[in-house]
Amino acid sequence: MTVTTYQPGEIQGLIEIQASKCKGCDACQKFCPTNAIEGASGAVHSINKEKCLSCGQCLINCPFGAIIETHSALETVIAKLADKDVKVVGIIAPAVRVAIGEEFGLGTGELVTGKLYGAMNKAGFKIFDCNFAADLTIMEEGSEFIHRLHANVKGEADAGALPQFTSCCPGWVRYLETNYPSLLPNLSTAKSPQQMAGTVAKTYGAKVYAMQPENIFTVAVMPCTSKKVEASRPEFNSAWKYNQEQGANVAEYRDVDAVLTTREMAQLLKLLEIDLAKTPEYEGDSLFSEYTGAGTIFGATGGVMEAALRTAHKVLTGDEMAKLEFEPVRGLAGVKAASVTLFDQSLSQDVTVNVAVVHDMGNNVEPILRDIMAGISPYHFIEVMNCAGGCVNGGGQPIDGNGSSWIGNI
Amino acid sequence: MNNKKHVFAEDSFFISRRKFMAIGAAFIAVMAIPVGWFASKVAKRNDYIKARSAGLYKDDAIAKLRVSHANPAVEKYYKEFGGQPLGHMSHDLLHTHFVDRTKLNS
Repeated sequence: MTVTTYQPGEIQGLIEIQASKCKGCDACQKFCPTNAIEGASGAVHSINKEKCLSCGQCLINCPFGAIIETHSALETVIAKLADKDVKVVGIIAPAVRVAIGEEFGLGTGELVTGKLYGAMNKAGFKIFDCNFAADLTIMEEGSEFIHRLHANVKGEADAGALPQFTSCCPGWVRYLETNYPSLLPNLSTAKSPQQMAGTVAKTYGAKVYAMQPENIFTVAVMPCTSKKVEASRPEFNSAWKYNQEQGANVAEYRDVDAVLTTREMAQLLKLLEIDLAKTPEYEGDSLFSEYTGAGTIFGATGGVMEAALRTAHKVLTGDEMAKLEFEPVRGLAGVKAASVTLFDQSLSQDVTVNVAVVHDMGNNVEPILRDIMAGISPYHFIEVMNCAGGCVNGGGQPIDGNGSSWIGNI
Repeated sequence: MNNKKHVFAEDSFFISRRKFMAIGAAFIAVMAIPVGWFASKVAKRNDYIKARSAGLYKDDAIAKLRVSHANPAVEKYYKEFGGQPLGHMSHDLLHTHFVDRTKLNS
């Protein structure tokens, strides 16, 4: 009997504590959402990989820099960039554009979309903004929510489960899969923006780029370490399956071939001697770099909910929201709840939607899940993100400025 | 003949002064962590979160289009290729299924 919470082929043990550097200070344990870090105070700690979500919060908060990622695609990506027969598509997540500048001496939170496009273009990437895929996610996930809402209001027998959870955060998805599988029907079936981007790049994108899909190499640039595990999930080969059905006969490929964290992308640019801070701005090179404000706020806690409400309002009432900023879901409260009443045209009645936004999941989500299981949850739609603050504070973001490794190499 | 070599070697039982200092510093650091460390770390972290979030909200505020359903590229995707949200193609390409990992665990 093998004890494992992983499917075959998935990356296991992505986050590791280096025994030689660990001082047993327990700091990492305070940031771990699943108590996956074992070892007594003062003794060298280790990570229980069955419980670990690979979120990397321990990594960015270790005062000794003792925690590392075991898998890096950096060399593979550099080799692919040099290969003339391959088109390397860089999928840039929302939260990367407000953090990668820090690695090049720019200010904290400085928005560097144009410079990042320019630097990646110089390195040889085609630009595929993940924000485009975030817009796509809103279309799918928002439609799914409206579908479930209507079916529930009408009392249809096979109405989907409410509340509906967002499914963008791989740490959260794995948490639910490992701890509360009975709530999986509540999870939106929409893929995360990363996986949508990979699939679209190798199906519709292959037509746009006029390329064979097998010659497209997709590299997601993410603020998140857990995205590496997500990309390795065996079911994420939809583009290959689709193209096989269309008559292709080639070896299996992944929707997302490689994932680089924000830190690794900065490292790649430095290796190629591209200084992002000095790179001229660049507009992008295809329709996949077109995105909206709704897509970009995905990187902050509450962003998915705000983006979804903007679209749901339009779909349900027929009108755009008068004020697009939806303040109740912004900010750093652990659980943010709001109620929205709007006139639903297709039902010809007022509908009140209760939404909740949860981040810093390890500290905040459990009471909400218990209420749902007890059948007393007031919510219809819940956004959950594992990391405090959302992806902007993901485990793949720049560390130094974040105050980690403050004791250095003693 | 005198074969005895006189080389300076640190006694392996005792640690060097440099190493002693390092361990001492680490010890002090570990002792210092529970007192106030967590609160100040979280406060500092929140400053970063706020600055980066502000960057994203700025990106939203300056965007020409601010709602997903108005993205012309998304519209083009559905028109030329994807059909419609929740449609057949979306089901195949943009949705997924989840895994009960407690079953994998048994």
